[in-house]
Amino acid sequence: MTIRLSLKLLVASIALFAGGVHAVTAGSAAPQFTIADTTGKPVKLSDYQGKFVVLEWTNPECPFVRKHYDSRNMQDLQKEWGGKDVVWLSINSTNESSSEFKTPQEMGAWMKAQGAAPKAALIDSTSATGRAYAAKTTPHMFVIDRAGKIVYAGAIDDRRSANPADAKVANNYVRAALTEALAGKLVRVSSATPYGCSVKY
Amino acid sequence: MLRHSRLFRFSLAAALAFACAGMSAAAPVKTEHVEAELVAERTAFIPGQSLTVALRLRMAEGWHTYWRNPGDSGLPTTLAWTLPAGATAGPILWPAPYALPVEPLMNYGYEGEVLLLTEILAPADARPGETLALAAKAEWLVCRETCIPEEASLTLELPISSRSDPYPQWGRSIASTRALLPGPVRGWLGAARGEGAKVVLTLTAPADTELPGDLRFFPFDEGRIEPSGKQSLVRDANGTFVLTLPVAHQLAPEFKRVAGVITASRGFASGNLVVPSLALDVPLTGAVVAGPKPMTAATPVLNLDAPPAKAPGTDVSLALALVFAFVGGIVLNLMPCVFPVLSIKVLSLSRPGHGSWRMLRLEGVAYGAGVILSFVALAGLLLGLRAAGAELGWGFQLQSPAVITALALLFFVLALNMSGAFEFATFAPSSAAGWTVRNPYLNSALTGVLAVAIASPCTAPFMGAALGYALTQPAGLTLLVFAALGVGMALPFVLLTWFPGWRRILPRPGAWMERLKQFLAFPLYATVAWLAWVLGAQMDNDAVVRLLGTLVIVAFALWAWRVYRGGATRAFGVLAALGLAGAVVVAWPLFGDTAEDHAAAGTSIASARAAGGAIDPWRPYTPALLQELSRTKPVFVDFTAAWCVTCQVNKRLVLNDSRVREAFAQRGVELVRADWTRRDPDITKALAALGRQGVPVYVLYRPGKEPLLLPEILQKQIIYDALATL
Repeated sequence: MTIRLSLKLLVASIALFAGGVHAVTAGSAAPQFTIADTTGKPVKLSDYQGKFVVLEWTNPECPFVRKHYDSRNMQDLQKEWGGKDVVWLSINSTNESSSEFKTPQEMGAWMKAQGAAPKAALIDSTSATGRAYAAKTTPHMFVIDRAGKIVYAGAIDDRRSANPADAKVANNYVRAALTEALAGKLVRVSSATPYGCSVKY
Repeated sequence: MLRHSRLFRFSLAAALAFACAGMSAAAPVKTEHVEAELVAERTAFIPGQSLTVALRLRMAEGWHTYWRNPGDSGLPTTLAWTLPAGATAGPILWPAPYALPVEPLMNYGYEGEVLLLTEILAPADARPGETLALAAKAEWLVCRETCIPEEASLTLELPISSRSDPYPQWGRSIASTRALLPGPVRGWLGAARGEGAKVVLTLTAPADTELPGDLRFFPFDEGRIEPSGKQSLVRDANGTFVLTLPVAHQLAPEFKRVAGVITASRGFASGNLVVPSLALDVPLTGAVVAGPKPMTAATPVLNLDAPPAKAPGTDVSLALALVFAFVGGIVLNLMPCVFPVLSIKVLSLSRPGHGSWRMLRLEGVAYGAGVILSFVALAGLLLGLRAAGAELGWGFQLQSPAVITALALLFFVLALNMSGAFEFATFAPSSAAGWTVRNPYLNSALTGVLAVAIASPCTAPFMGAALGYALTQPAGLTLLVFAALGVGMALPFVLLTWFPGWRRILPRPGAWMERLKQFLAFPLYATVAWLAWVLGAQMDNDAVVRLLGTLVIVAFALWAWRVYRGGATRAFGVLAALGLAGAVVVAWPLFGDTAEDHAAAGTSIASARAAGGAIDPWRPYTPALLQELSRTKPVFVDFTAAWCVTCQVNKRLVLNDSRVREAFAQRGVELVRADWTRRDPDITKALAALGRQGVPVYVLYRPGKEPLLLPEILQKQIIYDALATL
C-alpha cells in the first residue's frame, strides 16, 4: 500500500509546504505611538489601523528638508497619496532642548506657509518616537501597510544631495513603495540608507 | 654651507617669483563657516607626470565636513573637475576620518582643517613655458548642530616646466597627508567573519609589536556596519586583535567584503614606522543578518549585541555538526512520525518474489537519493526565503497553522489506512497501479521524498538547535549538514536493501504483518494528538475543535466511500463527496489564517494568561522589555516553542522544578519567555543576534557582563552554575 500511498501523499506534502510559506513578508511591526499634533490633539498610530501610513521625519531648519519643500516635491507627494486614502504623518523629533526646536505653533505656521498637506504634523518633543523608529535623518521615511508592518524604511529618493533641482528627477523610493504596496505587490526596494541632517536628539 | 645657502636663496627667489607671477591660486573662497582653496604639492606640472593637488577645507570652530561615508547623516564632499584637454583627475584620496558623535548618532568626518587629495595627470604633450589651468566645483555639507550645504568654484593655475619644486606653503603638508593616507600596513593582516548580527574582524599583528591602543573601524560603504553601534576590542591568546562590529540595522544587500579604515589611538607599528591608520578590504566569510535597531538603549550597561559567553558544551564545530546531523538522521527513522510508514515499506520488501537482489539494491539507492535531495532542497528553500528577506529560522515549517493542519490531516489519513479503515487501492485507478510497478526506482525515490515530508514535524522538535546552528554557516556548509542528515536518515533502509539476509529471520508473511501494521497506526494517532495541541498553543481552542471536526468528517467520508466501492448504492458515493466538501469547508479558515493575522490575538492571549495566573513568574518577551529589565537586573530568557519537544522536556524537568525556581528567585533573576510557536521576527532577530536559528536557546543576561549562553539540553546543575557567575 505504501507504494501507491507515496505518490498521492507526495502531492499533498508538496502542497502543504508551499502553503506554509506564502505568508512570508519582510519587515517588522511599526512601533506604536501617541503624539500631539500642532493643534495639541493626540494622534495615535493605531487610529489608522487598516490604512497605509507614511511617516515623514522632518525639521524646517534642515536644508535637506527644505530641498524637498522648496521644490514642492514633498507637498506633491502628500497630496498625491492623501488623495488615495494614505495617511501621511509628518513628525518633527527635534528635542525641545535643541536650538532648532519648533513649538507646535511655529511648526504649524511653517507647514501652512509651505502649503504642506499631511494628515497631521506631530511634535515629538521628547524624541521618543524618533528613537523608537531609529530615525536618523531628516528626511527619513517609513511606509506602513494596512497590517501595521513597515514595508519601506529609509531615504526619500536616490539623489543624495541638498539641491532642490534633484528632487524631481530622482527615483522616489516612497512613491515606488506605495505604488507597489497599494497594488498588493511586494515592495521591491524595501530599504535604502537615509540621507540628510541628523535628527536633533 | 655655501652651497646650502645658495640653494636656499634660489628656492626663496623661486618661491617669490611663483607667488608673484607663474603660479596663481585664486584667493581662498570664504563661506560663512569654511575657507576653501585648491593647493598643489609642487610648483609646476611636468609633462606626462602626475601632481598631487588638494582641496583644503578649513572649518570654523565646532563645525565639521564629511568623509566618503558620512555615517548616520550628512553628505560626502565632492569635487567636479574641469581640466584642459589631455589632463585627467583621479578620485579623492581621503585621509582617515574622525568619529564625530552627535548622540545618539555617529558621523564620520573632519574638524579643523583637512586636505582632500587628488592626483592630476598632466598631458604628455604639455609645453613647458605654458600654464595648466585647473578648475573644480567643490560641494560640501558643513554641520555643527545645523547643517549648511555650501559650494565653491575654485581654480589653480600652475606653470608647465621640466622641473618642479616643493610648493613652499603647502608642499610639506600635502606630502605628509599623502604618506599617512590609510593603506595596507606591512605585517598587519585582517580577516572578517559574519556571525549573525556581528562582524568579527581579526587583525594579526607583526611579532613583538607595540600595542596599537584603541581601534575603530570606519566602513567605506553605508549600510554595512551600524555607525553608532559599539565596537568592542579584545586581544586573544595568540595576540590577535579581535574587533567586534555591529551589523547595520538597515543592511544593504550583497555584503560580501569588509572594506574600510581602521584607526589606532597609538598607531600601527611596522618596522621602524608607526602609522595612525590602515585600510583593508577582505572577504566576509560566515553569514550576517541585519543588526538590532540602534539608539534604543539609553544606557549601554548591557549590550544585547555583545558576543554571548558560552557555557561548556554549547560550542559546535563543523565536524561535530556533521556527526550530529548524521546520527540525528539515523534516529529520525525511529521517530513516531516516520517509523510506522518506513517499517511497512521495509516489510513490503520482504515479500517473496519482490524482485532480484540487483533491483532491490537499486531501489535502495533511489530511495536514498530521494531522501538526501529532499533535505538539501528543503534547506535550499529556507536559505532562499531568508535571502529574500524573510525572518525565518529552522522550525519555520511548524510556525504556520496551515502546515500544522495539513500535517494532522496527512497523519490521520495515514493512520486510518494502517488501521485498516480503508485501502488506498480503492482510490487508485488501475493505470496508476501499473505505472508504479513499471517505475519501481522512481517510486522508491518518491518514497524517500515522502519520508522527508513526514519527518519534517520531527526534525524541528528534536533537532531545532543543531539545524539552527547549520543555518548560521555559509550556504555551502549549511547544505552539507542537511545532506549529512539525509545520509543518516537513508542509511538504515539502504543497508536493509543491500544486505537482505535479515529477510530469512523474519517469520513467514502472514496475519502477524497485518496486526503489526494496525498496531503501528497508534504512533501516528499520537502524532495527530500532538499536532492538535500545537495548533491550540498557536491559535485557540476553536481552532482545535475545527481541526478535530475536520478529522471526524474525513473519517466519515472515507467510510462512506469504502461502503460505496464495496457495492452499496450510489447514495454512499454522494455522502462521501459531501463529506469531503464539508471537511474542506470546516478546515478552510485554518488555511486562511496566517501566523501574522494571529500575532495580535496571540499576544493578548499570552498577556491574559500572564495576568490571570498571577503566580506565573514568566513574562512574555519583547525587545523593549528585555532592554528595560536587563539594565538593572539579571534576566533569564527561555527561547521556546510549543512544537519543540526538547524545549518542553527542559521546561518540565528543569525550569519548572521548585528548587530551580527558588534559585532564580534568590538571585533576583527576572524570567522572560520568548515563545516562537508562531512566526515572530523580533524573536528570530534575537536568536540571530545570539548566533542561533532555532530553539531551544537559554540565555542568562548579566548586568555589566556579556550574556551567558547555556546548552540546549538543560540540567539543574547547569542553571545553578550559571547563576553562580552573577
